[in-house]
Amino acid sequence: MLIAENLTKDYKDITAVNNVSFRVEPGRIFGLLGPNGAGKTTIIRTILNIIRPTSGTILFDGEPINDQFFNIIGYLPEERGLYKKSKTIDVILYFARLRNMDKKTALSEAEHWLKKLDISLYRNKKIEELSKGNQQKVQFITAIIHNPKLIVLDEPFAGFDPINQQLIREIIISLSSMGRTIILSTHQMDTAEKLCSDIFLINKGKEVCSGSLTDIKKRFGTNTVRVIFEGDGSFINSLPSVIRTEKSNSLPDTGEKNNLLLSETDHILSSVEVTLKEDIQPKDFLKDIMGRLSITHYSVVEPTLDKIFIDVIRNSQ
Amino acid sequence: MKKTFIIAKWEYIEKIRTKAFIISMFVTPAILLLFTLAPTWFSRHEEESTKAYGIIDTSGIYFSQLRDNLEKIKLNDDQPKYLIINLYGKNDKLNDLKKSADIDVVRNKLQGYLLILNGGTDNIKINFRSKGSGSFEDVGKIEGIFNKVKNKIQLEKAGVDTNIINSVSKYVGINPIKIEENGKESKADFLTIFFSSFIFIMLLMMMILSTGGMLVRSLLEEKSNRLIEILVSSCSKKELLAGKVIALSGLGFTQILIWGVLALVTARTALIPMEAFDNIFPMLGFFILGYVFYVSIFVGIGSIVSTEQEAQQITSYISIILILPTIFAVSAIQNPGSTIIKILSFIPFTSASIMMLRLKIETIPVGEILSAVLIMVISIYLTITFSSKLFKIGILSYGKRPALKELIRWMREK
Repeated sequence: MLIAENLTKDYKDITAVNNVSFRVEPGRIFGLLGPNGAGKTTIIRTILNIIRPTSGTILFDGEPINDQFFNIIGYLPEERGLYKKSKTIDVILYFARLRNMDKKTALSEAEHWLKKLDISLYRNKKIEELSKGNQQKVQFITAIIHNPKLIVLDEPFAGFDPINQQLIREIIISLSSMGRTIILSTHQMDTAEKLCSDIFLINKGKEVCSGSLTDIKKRFGTNTVRVIFEGDGSFINSLPSVIRTEKSNSLPDTGEKNNLLLSETDHILSSVEVTLKEDIQPKDFLKDIMGRLSITHYSVVEPTLDKIFIDVIRNSQ
Repeated sequence: MKKTFIIAKWEYIEKIRTKAFIISMFVTPAILLLFTLAPTWFSRHEEESTKAYGIIDTSGIYFSQLRDNLEKIKLNDDQPKYLIINLYGKNDKLNDLKKSADIDVVRNKLQGYLLILNGGTDNIKINFRSKGSGSFEDVGKIEGIFNKVKNKIQLEKAGVDTNIINSVSKYVGINPIKIEENGKESKADFLTIFFSSFIFIMLLMMMILSTGGMLVRSLLEEKSNRLIEILVSSCSKKELLAGKVIALSGLGFTQILIWGVLALVTARTALIPMEAFDNIFPMLGFFILGYVFYVSIFVGIGSIVSTEQEAQQITSYISIILILPTIFAVSAIQNPGSTIIKILSFIPFTSASIMMLRLKIETIPVGEILSAVLIMVISIYLTITFSSKLFKIGILSYGKRPALKELIRWMREK
């Protein structure tokens, strides 16, 4: 477990990180989110012992950062780049050796990962001869080859096509299920939403929102349900439990089945988003309307992380 | 310690493979050899054929003796070096003679001609007319021989005995001999000294600039793509710095080794005079001190710059400082004891080069050598301390080059 307490980093004119505390548990993916210049990179650098915080402490498994720490962290910086003129395998081995792996293990692990990421073919090619995506894969390998306990990934998906994003996502999830402590910093909210179990949102160096993803969604949810039905739904708006209704122009993306439904029954389906009063439980509202409409879909609408992000950042400014 | 070694090995192997290194390894000595040997070689070889010179001696006193003496000088293949032609006829007007002789020179029929006016009087005046300013060597030789001939003729006229004249006109040269403390003697020939010390200064300069440039570029690359962040999150900055410096010194010594072998091989073929290897060990000592001093400066510079342009700018300042000793080289050889040379040999930036030069041209008191070494060692210690401080903070600061005020703040930071 990584515990950061009262972390502050002052630069000459600005406070990049202002009294921030959080903990990252093993086996969970911790999403460090925030707009550009929020202080994400500074936090990462202090975690990695690259820079020293002005005040505050960082403990990993109960110990302050020391030289032993070097070998158990894996880091993928946001700006990518490797030794362009060097051979792929040499670069991977160099970083593996720097993380204290012995030669033999480093070599077999390198081969394993090259194969897994489908770039064995480029083993003996110079980095500059590789495509950008493949260079990123090599860099990803250098971040995780030594089986680090703590993995820090800064925008790991930037520059990857959807297929490779999926590949990397699977690897990150499997690392997490192996009990690794993973910190993921990103602007891509959909990525964070799919991967992260905990969210830590900062803006201008200060924490603005944190907690588990489900908690946050609950906290920022507006008690809205989506109903798809057959028949005349005009009465819904006048129910006492309803604040407002909104026609949603598209059917919820709940998979193939729904689309089939749409094509079979065509125009007769209506879809509305209903915002309920705060004290109304979605299941009670369902009871109210069940007898009066033929309901084909009923779901609680969760706010997207994207929306939460924008709202929270706006409110904090 | 282990990581230092891993870094050093990586840097060494990756750099030694680069084209820049391989080129500088072989091209540098080639250029130096060319610069030092080509002029002598050319001047030796271009005169392998007989040259035709004319003489207009209006008095007619000197021509025949001058011709006899000049035509005695032989080329390597035993052909006469000069062919001397009399251009003077009693009935010709001087102006017409000059005109036709000038045309001959312009048309390359003659290399040049000697115009002797007022011969036999104290107002004697001689011009050497040729295209360009004439070969220095030839003019010098002709001048020497003319004066000898003139003296002889005058003495003969005064009735001096021929034996005395011959004895008097014998030219005695002076051989400079360099005495060393251990009683060894060696011939001190200006050119040999100049070039053999010059070669070392130039080698030092080229080596510092090529490896120093390499270091700055590699730091710049790691900084710009943030590889440096991965590096400093996998090892301490001290290990990283030490690894890089060790690798760079290794590269330097590899160069010396290869150059040394090249030098020995060429010395055997007599391209380089053996005198160049006199005092080789103390010279190597200063070479290494100078090298380490500048490399540690380059480490500091590499840490604070963040663009290629900045790096080039600062590197060019350093190369100016490096070239400085070569400017003083000539005056140092002509006047080894001068105060300015003494002062320069105790300034760390010039000390190594100047001391290498002085080791060649004079016997330096042991005290001076030791104090120069001491100054270098202290300066190296200081530059390494400063540079590693700059390194520790500089490698992680991007963007604008820090102002002097900021640099001072970095120095104070622990």
